Amino acid sequence: MRIQLRHVSKTFPPRQRALADINLEIRESELIFICGPSGAGKSTLLKLLFREIEPSEGEILIDGLNVTRLRSRGVARLRRKMGLVFQEFRFLPALNVLDNVALAAQVLGVSKKQSRVKAYQLLRELGLKDRHDAKPFMLSGGEQQRVAIARALINDPALIIADEPTGNIDHELADDIMQLFLKIRDGGATVVIATHDRGLIQRYGARVIKLERGFMADASPAHIPMPEYTW
Amino acid sequence: MKVSLVGLVFRQVRSSLRHLCWSHILASLTMALTLFVFGAFMMLQANLEQLLTAWGDQMQITAYLGRALEPTELERLLKSVETLPEVERVRYTSQTQAWNDFQTALGAQSGLLEGLPHDVLPASIEISIKRGQRDSSTVEQVAQRLRAEKEIASVEYPQQWVERLGLTVLAVAWAKWIVGGVFFLATFFIVGSTVKLALYARRGEVEIMQLVGASETLIQAPFVLEGMLQGMTGAALALAALWGGYALTRQEIESFAGAVGWFGHVRFLNLEGAAFLVAIGWVVGAAGSVISLRRIVKTWRGSEAIV
Repeated sequence: MRIQLRHVSKTFPPRQRALADINLEIRESELIFICGPSGAGKSTLLKLLFREIEPSEGEILIDGLNVTRLRSRGVARLRRKMGLVFQEFRFLPALNVLDNVALAAQVLGVSKKQSRVKAYQLLRELGLKDRHDAKPFMLSGGEQQRVAIARALINDPALIIADEPTGNIDHELADDIMQLFLKIRDGGATVVIATHDRGLIQRYGARVIKLERGFMADASPAHIPMPEYTW
Repeated sequence: MKVSLVGLVFRQVRSSLRHLCWSHILASLTMALTLFVFGAFMMLQANLEQLLTAWGDQMQITAYLGRALEPTELERLLKSVETLPEVERVRYTSQTQAWNDFQTALGAQSGLLEGLPHDVLPASIEISIKRGQRDSSTVEQVAQRLRAEKEIASVEYPQQWVERLGLTVLAVAWAKWIVGGVFFLATFFIVGSTVKLALYARRGEVEIMQLVGASETLIQAPFVLEGMLQGMTGAALALAALWGGYALTRQEIESFAGAVGWFGHVRFLNLEGAAFLVAIGWVVGAAGSVISLRRIVKTWRGSEAIV
C-alpha cells in the first residue's frame, strides 16, 4: 500500500499540538521506522493512518484514497487491509490467546474453525503454540507482544502498522519479529513501525522518520544506516 | 451477512446474556409491565367495542303512527321507508300486536290493562339501520326523513346511549396510547440503558472489532438482537400475566356484567391482538437498542481521548 501524508497536522483540544505539517510518502512494500522520544507524535501519526483519529488539517492518501473523507463503512473496509499492533495490545481478557487472534479473522467472515486453524499456525510460527489456551493476562509482556503480532497478521494485511512491536521483548526475539516483518514486506506488504529501539533501527537499514514535538525532525533515505540518536 | 458471521453474532449474544443476566432480566420485566398495561387497555377496548357492536345490532329507530292506516297507505309508507339507502330492515307492529306484546311483557301484571281500549297503543314501524351507518348523523338524517312522512307522529331512538358508549371506547383507545406511550417511553430508556451497560461491558471488544474492520452491522447486530429478545420475552411474560388475570377475574366480571344487563362473556385478546403485542415488544426492544447504539458508538468513534 502506498501512503501519502500532505500537510497533516493534528491538534487535540484545547490546544495541544501533536503533529504539525507532516509531509511524507511511504512506498508500496516499504518497511519504515517512525522514531522519536515519548510525546513526539509517533502514536498519533499511526492512529491517523488507520483512522482512529482524524487530522485537524491536511490529507492522508492510502493507495490514492483520501482516508480523511471516509465514512464509517469505508474506514471498516480500509482497516480490513491492515494489520495493527498496539502498544497496549488491546486483548479481550475473557478470550484465550487463540480466540483473541482468531476473532480478527472471524469478524471478516472466516469460519470459527478456519480462523482457529490459522491462528494456531501463526502462534506456532511465533513460538507460542503451547500458550494458545492461556488467557492474555497469564502471558509475559513479550508473549503478549507476539500474540498482538499474530492477530495483526491473521488477515494477510497489505499494510502493517505496529506501535512499539519490540518494546517488551529481548533482542533475540525482537530480531525474530523483525525477520517476520521483513518476510511480510518481501511478500508485498507495507510495514510502518513506531519504535524507541535505536538498536533495532541500526540493525535494519530501513528508512527512518524522526519526529520531535510533532514536527518531522529528520528523514533518512532508505537503506542507509542511521547515526546514533540523541533522544 | 455470512453464515459464519451469524454464528459469531449468536455467540456474542449468548455471552452477553450470561454475563449481564440481571440487567437483561430487569429490562425484560420492565417491558413485560409496559406490555401488560398496554395489553389490558387493548382487552378493555376490544370488549367495549364488542358491547358497542351488540348494542348497535339491537339499536333501531321506532316511528309511531299518528292514526290507523288503510292497507294501501301502509304499503306505500313501508315501501317508502324500506327504500331509504341506510335502512336494513323494517318491521311493522299493528295496534293489536302492540297491545298483545305489552300484555305479554306485563305478564302477571297484565290485569292493570283491564278497561283500557285496545287501540290505546299506537301502531309503529321498527327500522334497523345498516351496519357501518349507525353513526349519529346518519341515524339523525333517517329520523328527519321519517318525521317528514305525514303518517308518522313521532320518532324515537336510543342514539344517545350508543354515542356515549362510543365515546367511552374512544377514550379507552386514547388512554391506551397515552398511558401506553408513557410506559413505552420509560421502557425505551430502560432497554437503551441495558444496551448501554452491555456496550460498556463489551467496549474493549467493540473497539477491537472496529479496529480490525468489522462492519457496523456486525458490531451492532448482537445488541439489537438482545433488545429484540428482551422485547419478545417481555411480551410473552405480559401475555402470560394477562391470561392469568383474565382467568382469575373472568367469572366475577361476567357475573357483574350480567347483573347490570351488559354482555354475556369477557373476551381475551384475539390472535392478532397477541401478535400485535409481541410485535410492539420486538420493535420497542430493537428501536431502544439501535438508538442507544448509534449515539454511543458514534461518540466512541469520534473520541480523541484514547490517544
